Amino acid sequence: MHIKLCVEPLAYRSVMTEVNVLPSLNSDVSHGEAMDGEQRLKLLDDPQEWAAFSLPEKTQAGCWSSSVVFEGMHCAACAITLEDALRSVPGVDSVQINAASHRGRIVWSPDVTRPSEWMRSVERFGYKAIPANDAYAHERRRQEGRRMVWRLAVAALCMMQVMMYATPVYVTEPGDITPEMVHLLRWASWVLSLPVVFFSCTPFLRSAWRDLRHQQVSMDLPVALGMMVTFVVSSIGTFEPAGPFGAEVYFDSLTMFVFFLLMGRWLELRMRDRTAGALEAVLNRLPDSVRKRMPGGQWALISIRRLAVGDVIEVLPGEALAGDGLVLAGQTQVDEALLTGESIPLARQAGDRVIAGSHNLSGAIEVQIEQVGTATRYAQIVALMESASLSKPSMALLVDRWAKPFLIAVLLASLASAIYWWPTDPAHALMVAVAVLIVTCPCALSLATPAAMLASAGALARSGVLVRRLEALQNLASIDTVIFDKTGTLTRDAFEVASIHTRAAVSQSQALWWASSLARHSLHPVSRALWSEARRRAEAEGRLSVLESEQAQAVLEKAGQGVSGRLNVSGRALNLRLGSAAYCQAPVYEGAHLQVSLADDAGWIATFELVEEIRPEAPQVVAALKHLGLQLKVLSGDAQSAVAQVASLVGIDDVRGGCGPQDKLQAVQAWQAQGHKVAMVGDGLNDGPVLAGADVSFALGQAVPLAQSKADFVLMGGQLQVLVQTLVRSRQTLRIVKQNLLWAAVYNAACIPLALLGYLPAWAAGLGMALSSLLVVLNALRLSQGLT
Amino acid sequence: MDILYLLIPLSVGLVFFILAGLWWAIHRGQFEDIEAEGERILRND
Repeated sequence: MHIKLCVEPLAYRSVMTEVNVLPSLNSDVSHGEAMDGEQRLKLLDDPQEWAAFSLPEKTQAGCWSSSVVFEGMHCAACAITLEDALRSVPGVDSVQINAASHRGRIVWSPDVTRPSEWMRSVERFGYKAIPANDAYAHERRRQEGRRMVWRLAVAALCMMQVMMYATPVYVTEPGDITPEMVHLLRWASWVLSLPVVFFSCTPFLRSAWRDLRHQQVSMDLPVALGMMVTFVVSSIGTFEPAGPFGAEVYFDSLTMFVFFLLMGRWLELRMRDRTAGALEAVLNRLPDSVRKRMPGGQWALISIRRLAVGDVIEVLPGEALAGDGLVLAGQTQVDEALLTGESIPLARQAGDRVIAGSHNLSGAIEVQIEQVGTATRYAQIVALMESASLSKPSMALLVDRWAKPFLIAVLLASLASAIYWWPTDPAHALMVAVAVLIVTCPCALSLATPAAMLASAGALARSGVLVRRLEALQNLASIDTVIFDKTGTLTRDAFEVASIHTRAAVSQSQALWWASSLARHSLHPVSRALWSEARRRAEAEGRLSVLESEQAQAVLEKAGQGVSGRLNVSGRALNLRLGSAAYCQAPVYEGAHLQVSLADDAGWIATFELVEEIRPEAPQVVAALKHLGLQLKVLSGDAQSAVAQVASLVGIDDVRGGCGPQDKLQAVQAWQAQGHKVAMVGDGLNDGPVLAGADVSFALGQAVPLAQSKADFVLMGGQLQVLVQTLVRSRQTLRIVKQNLLWAAVYNAACIPLALLGYLPAWAAGLGMALSSLLVVLNALRLSQGLT
Repeated sequence: MDILYLLIPLSVGLVFFILAGLWWAIHRGQFEDIEAEGERILRND
């Protein structure tokens, strides 16, 4: 059981929707980035573009204030260099750089300069400035953080001072202190409690008021009620000591209690900021751009924002499709792994359809756009994910069911005690009633869960696990099934060279060397695998620089077939071909692996067999999870045989291949209907819906931003071991939460009878409340140790 | 101990004064980047 956490601010939600709709088009793998980068920077000079990361400056008319993120900052001195570089650009009025967050705010005038100018000014020094598109969300979060810190500061200072005023009454014998002095001290305490109750407490009061109006119950209601009753009773005690409500004041308990609660909320906010901020940072990149054919026939670079249905765009190898469309000219291969989970390239030519978000691998094509934005298939998958996440089981329902009877019971008990004691002594009666309310005030209860969750989340964050939903830590402890995706999760997202067959007189390294001279010019996953293997071997032999300087001439890539080129080897020119067996006129080997052949004019040279590389830690992780008593399954979009093979190498038996996003979601829902609690580990876009629908979901750090935004945990390091550690930590967290709740319950159970019988003065109730909160927090701090 | 009749109200006023100072500091962002403030003395300007 746990409290209902605050509703996330709307701005946060809308920002994440923006991440969902637009994939990053301009892949980092594309060629000619230097030239492209310059032109893409110029796109920012469009007022509509710079409005995405700038606001009109309030203090100076006509100027704009832009937020950017700097790359390449590694120390505080960099901030000084950057500030100087930016200030030297005419038109830049002021620069503020935060060295810790690598963010800067530049105030500039559009009459004199443009964003591309001052962004270029820092490139000279080796830095890069990227528009901070998440600036709005970032700023909003910053303001929220400031307000919270301010509330906390008010509560803290007033709490300390009120405690000072309360101490004389505690330590003196009756009679030592004059009634006038007591009155003065109480008056001073009352004045200082005003800001605490009416300013610092406003989040609780507002939330409680909202709950009352909607006839719901959250833990804020008893808290707010207790606060108001305590304040009212104490105020009356201050100004009408002879009145029926008695002469006791509880300002010290009140302020301390508020302070502890606010501390918990503040820590929770900071944690949420850190994780949300990191994910929103994926929005920070240069505006996506496409080359569009203009009416005059020439090609111009335009921003994705301005793309419309009917436009004809040119997509170069390495770029991603900006929208669904029809290929008009050219032929190529596309990688639709984002959506289907398969990394095998698919051929596309004039007359074929291509989908948004897929990557163009080999040839330049002209595409007529048929769908943009939300109408694309990519966006439909996003919509599927949104609906899946709405039907996620909500723990808040359980809390509400439990909290209402508890609150009613508390109120009744308090009322009953007041009624019981009233005939004998009205003042005492009220004191008893308030003592009951205070003692039952669930501050230890409210802190029990968040304190533990936050301590765990902090420890996890330090080990590279972003916790996006704190509730998930609790859910994780009760799962019994873990489902893995294959490509990119159990395996690395690339092929690996398994074996090399060569003809006589040619060594394996030699063949690889020649092949890589062609492969480096191709973006095909197979080429990338060959190139990285060649680099690895060259590095091991210390000949990396020689390899890198080896240049083939006249490199031509034929989509679907291979790459050809001319390489100078010790004076001779070799006309090489690297590609399919048919392209190279090479023999085909027996086996299930993908084969790539290398040949020259004289004939076949070598054949490379490629497999998907399994993550080295995967078998251990699987073994550890089994040891923890979990059932493991694999759901993948790849063919059943390929998936089964990988799964058997890793140690999982239950395998299902050929799954689309809907199939995965349905499988998970079927298991959930059987009563299993399911956790999903994935990284691709096709994992999106199932990540949202599972009880707990993990996304790997290199996952598409979409999957990351739907997952409960993001494993930043890209290592799977931390999955096991997170699971273990979540079980520990649940244990500590139970301990905390047990303590809170025992404390309440012991103190309520005492309060009802009149043996518990309110100050003791307040002190007990504060101490029990402290105990809960200290117990929770045991969880902030690093992960094993 | 009559002086306390002056000092205690004065202390209330002092707390408000300190709160005003804290407000000024928080809203100028002084609590956001704790490291940079320490390095500010190393700057040339």
